[in-house]
Amino acid sequence: MKEEVISVKGLTKIYHRGSEEIHALKEVSFAIMKGEFAAIVGPSGSGKTTLLNLLGCLDTPTRGSLRLNGIEVNGLKERDLVKLRRENIGFVFQQFFLLPTLTVRENIELPLLFSRKNGYASQIDEVIGLVGLKARAEHLPGQLSGGEMQRVAIGRALINEPKIILADEPTGNLDSATSLRIFELFQNLNRQGLTLIVVTHNLELAKIAHNVIQLRDGEIARKTSSHGSSKKARS
Amino acid sequence: MNFVTLAIKNLLRRRGRTILTIMGVAIAIAVLFSLLSFNSGYEKQLSGELDSLGIHMLAVPKGCPYEAASLIIHGGVIPKYLSDSDVEEVKKIDGIEVASPMLLQQFYKDGQPHVVYGVMMDDVSRLKPWWKVEGRFFSDTEDNVMVIGRNLAEKEKLKVGDVLPFGPDGIPFTIVGILERTDTQDDDFHFLPLPVAQKMFGKPDQITTIAIKINDISRISEISKQLENIPDIQVVTMAQVMGTIMNLVGSARTLITSVIIVAIIISAVGIINTLLMSVNERTREFGMMKAIGASGLDIGRLVLIETLFITVIGGIIGLLLAMLGSSLIEAFVKGIIPYSPAGRLMAPEPGLVGLCLLFSVVIGFVCGIYPAIRSSRLTPMEAIRSNLE
Repeated sequence: MKEEVISVKGLTKIYHRGSEEIHALKEVSFAIMKGEFAAIVGPSGSGKTTLLNLLGCLDTPTRGSLRLNGIEVNGLKERDLVKLRRENIGFVFQQFFLLPTLTVRENIELPLLFSRKNGYASQIDEVIGLVGLKARAEHLPGQLSGGEMQRVAIGRALINEPKIILADEPTGNLDSATSLRIFELFQNLNRQGLTLIVVTHNLELAKIAHNVIQLRDGEIARKTSSHGSSKKARS
Repeated sequence: MNFVTLAIKNLLRRRGRTILTIMGVAIAIAVLFSLLSFNSGYEKQLSGELDSLGIHMLAVPKGCPYEAASLIIHGGVIPKYLSDSDVEEVKKIDGIEVASPMLLQQFYKDGQPHVVYGVMMDDVSRLKPWWKVEGRFFSDTEDNVMVIGRNLAEKEKLKVGDVLPFGPDGIPFTIVGILERTDTQDDDFHFLPLPVAQKMFGKPDQITTIAIKINDISRISEISKQLENIPDIQVVTMAQVMGTIMNLVGSARTLITSVIIVAIIISAVGIINTLLMSVNERTREFGMMKAIGASGLDIGRLVLIETLFITVIGGIIGLLLAMLGSSLIEAFVKGIIPYSPAGRLMAPEPGLVGLCLLFSVVIGFVCGIYPAIRSSRLTPMEAIRSNLE
């Protein structure tokens, strides 16, 4: 039986804007297994990014339980959350967020600096090879195409050997041909056993996922698995 | 890669702004270093100058204010005089080793003031045994001879043996000696036999001051009292001269200190403003860093290292600027203070260099701590979601 890496129960997130309460997520529950490739889809404002940020311990839920590798995240101190993020999660953003004065190699190396890991040169080379940027290792982000920049961001997410990769609209800024190459890269990583959770509007990317969680108005509207089973959530 | 490399690369992203901030710090540190060097150099130079007089006290005409008495040693001319007979009275007092009468006068030649000391060379040689001369000293009975200071000789291109028209009436005088450099006010003066000076300036039997050296310094107070019993005489000790001069320059020093404090505050506000702008612009970047494993402490440390880089580099540049421009700064300071001893007023000691560098580090900490705390407290979500408005 596959191991549960993420378990979400009754996860709720409420934002306050003045006196107004915004229910970004309402009682969301699901589980992600080790090695699973899950896509979170839904219209804008449905709570996709909020959910991803909660899963990545970048934000704290208002209510509910989130267990990451068996550890209850709710109530953890900032120091423990940092440790949890470093050891378990790799993030990929739509806007890449590369540091413009660092080379491809240095951008990929950055998380090692924060994890106080030295002497990982061969691992950096390996990751640069994995994302197909060997020839561009000493280039600055300004000298790269959008697809190459996203590959750098994916390399940076992989360098700490995370258990889960969380990607927020990773192809949102890319053309379809480049997006396809990013899909292939994600598929390869997933085949190597990495758990992937991707927030996307891109239906092609959602199609290659094992499971698709469809959100609407902060709730799970439908869960679809690649085995063909589809489950409409209780309304 | 380490935090220092990352901080340097971040600073290089905004080169123009970084350079301007560094220059702001450099100017503040240059001004601070100059003030401290001046403060330490001024007192040292003044004390050295007073020591170089070789005397313990001055007898001046009664009613002469201390300020004027203090200026006498720097070639100042006062309109009151003692007489030759006062010297004899002074010499009668027990414990006086040397009592040397002096007449100070000034005349203008080509718009330049020339300071003339009429002295008894035998007495002066006992007061200043360290004086060395190229050529010879004059005897007290010679006519139309003089000894001049080294600066004066160099400025006017004069040599031993030169004969030049001298004084208000342009009488020919022979330069019999040029003093070896003393690095005191003596380097700028003309020394004439006292009777010759008295005759030249129409002050027969008149003297400006009597320079007094005593046998036993512990008796200075007792001897002063005895001297004050002579009807025409008022006594000014060197300690009083020093105190008076320090008071005279006190207000100028307060002004300079205030300017420096303002310069440092402006510089500090500028640094904080630059850092806050930089932190605000990079909020999303900090959010990304937190998402990929940075702690709040890591972000704070990065901001602090950047600040320290700016202030320490600024400090080093400021010190270099101050050292290179010390003669300009010195000329400026000499222009605004009422009394400045001869020689270099700036004393750039190694301790001061260390102190200024330490101060630049402290500025770095003070200015960097708020932006560092602010950036470290951002939650990754706030940071990533923030707009660059």
